[in-house]
Amino acid sequence: MNSVTESKFIDVRGKRTQITIGGAGPVLLYLHSAGGEVEWTRFHEMLAQYFTVYLPAHPGFGDSRGLENIHSITDYAWHYVDLLDVLGLETVPIVGFSLGGWTGMELAILRPERISKMLLVNTAGIRIPEAPMGELFSDDIEKLKSLLFYDPNSPVIEEAMPLSFEDNRILMWLKAREATARVGWNPYLHNPRLPDHLFRIPCPVRILWGNDDQLLPVATGKFLVDALPNATLEIFEKTGHMLPYEQAERFVEEVRKFLSD
Amino acid sequence: MRFFTFHLMPYNKLPDDFEEKYDTAWTTVPNSLYDPVYGHELYNRFLDELIYAEEIGFDGVCINEYHQSVYGHLPSPNLMGSILARQTKRVKIAIIGNALPFYDPPTRVAEEFAMIDVISGGRLIAGMHLGGGPEYDSFSMNPTYARNKFQEALDLTVRAWTEAGPFEHYGEHWKLRHVNPWPTPYQKPHPPIWISGEDSKETTELAAKRRYSYLGSPYFHKSFLKKNLDMFRKACKKNGYTAHEEQTGWLVPIYVAETDEQAWAEYEKHLFYFIRKLLKGLMVFPPGYSSPKSIARIGIALKQFLGNIITREEIEEGGYAMVGSPETVREKMKDYVQDFGVGNVLGLFQIGTLPADLTKKNMTLFAEQVLPYLRKELGEPATDEEISNALAVN
Repeated sequence: MNSVTESKFIDVRGKRTQITIGGAGPVLLYLHSAGGEVEWTRFHEMLAQYFTVYLPAHPGFGDSRGLENIHSITDYAWHYVDLLDVLGLETVPIVGFSLGGWTGMELAILRPERISKMLLVNTAGIRIPEAPMGELFSDDIEKLKSLLFYDPNSPVIEEAMPLSFEDNRILMWLKAREATARVGWNPYLHNPRLPDHLFRIPCPVRILWGNDDQLLPVATGKFLVDALPNATLEIFEKTGHMLPYEQAERFVEEVRKFLSD
Repeated sequence: MRFFTFHLMPYNKLPDDFEEKYDTAWTTVPNSLYDPVYGHELYNRFLDELIYAEEIGFDGVCINEYHQSVYGHLPSPNLMGSILARQTKRVKIAIIGNALPFYDPPTRVAEEFAMIDVISGGRLIAGMHLGGGPEYDSFSMNPTYARNKFQEALDLTVRAWTEAGPFEHYGEHWKLRHVNPWPTPYQKPHPPIWISGEDSKETTELAAKRRYSYLGSPYFHKSFLKKNLDMFRKACKKNGYTAHEEQTGWLVPIYVAETDEQAWAEYEKHLFYFIRKLLKGLMVFPPGYSSPKSIARIGIALKQFLGNIITREEIEEGGYAMVGSPETVREKMKDYVQDFGVGNVLGLFQIGTLPADLTKKNMTLFAEQVLPYLRKELGEPATDEEISNALAVN
């Protein structure tokens, strides 16, 4: 089971960008999280049964270059404006998870006409003072497991992150953390200006949230569903931050339903 | 061979159940645990200990910068340095260092260090540091710019000391129309510069290239310390010269008492206060602070970090602290210094809760019974002239 048709590098306005394309059917642009899931994972493969999945790595993640010219989330959003042009994608639906959801919202504010629909999963970008975020930049891997997953002993954790410094994925993971810190250290994982601009996102938005997300509390999803002009919210019980890993089947079914409606 | 007394100025009055109740001694450790009235006594005691180091023959005293920490409640080493500049007459005052990216603009370091150098009559050793992981956390400063900012700030500081002002500085992080610090340093062209690193390849290469002195991270297993010093010397070779022993230093906790047994009996609980309470929750590497390769390398070495050590035997085996009778400590230290090939020993004579009387006894025994022996075996301290000839100050 592997429907990857292509894994290549494209030049996006001088930034060498890694992109993996797989599956069949309508195009879907997947914007990955701070965890840096830029390799084809189980749920990408499941999405590929219904869609042609475009999985680019943000600058600084995976083997994508160009972090030196990224100084804020807006720079990521502009990178995706450029990427859509380079790939000749006039309008696309987006699935954005966490950091990817934040990037997706910023992109939709800059170029609303290019985004047909947006599915946001436990998305970053908003700070709710009454519901503080967890500490993503801890270097304690055990603590991170409990922060990110509903069940800190779940077997899916191994798909999602290295389990020790000896793990051979550690360098990719450290790169992902560096790139995340570049845009999300301070202000911490959010853009204080974002709420004022959410009204500019006209497309239908489906928001998925793990009820037990300790990194980005579900209160953020509740805020977003009210602040976005055309959004609905689905809360997953017994689910943490890493929803696409923890609830892969249900996640893929949500994407399929929302995008084919 | 030069000997320094290094002081962390730790806060030594934490509750007994601190490690059960709190995650960390850094950044978010509640400052309601601090008692300023007691702090008054503590700061003055710690200053007395550094002043005493001069009386008993040390070559220098060392202090460092820490923020929001009980490990060292020493946010401004320049304030302490200026007191020491006035209250001592002979010793070097090594401030190792100022966390450059946190001085905004970094010409403040050029100014304050020059003040201490002028007040002390040219006794400052100017440590330049990029700030530790906890500082980036404490000040919410983006660690992915740490190296970049450090480099710019270091260049600017040295330029401010060596080039007549006023001049303009238009860098990536700071834009300054009039750089013109008053005063300028007493030592010409500028005070010796020490770079204290967290043992990344990036830091050793920078120090080697500019012929500054390099201090590796303390509290690691001796094999890791040795590797880092070798990495630095290799970098010097790559830059076309052999590292001078003066260019390297070794920071180590030391405790000397009448016998080995007595030393451990007096020292152990204070050392373990340091290990269990003060090193707890130290975030060594925020993301992007060093290259992923450096972070991965040190991440693995952290298994052999003093904070993760449990037994006295491990401490002895790994050389995490030099503890024992004068005979034991001098033989041990002679071997370590020769093995490491370092020209500066920075001894921590006070650690954790070690009280004033034992600290004083420790320092006295070391100064009387260990230091003279090591000088005889390992060489007299280099003169300022020898050092500045050895290091091409640029």
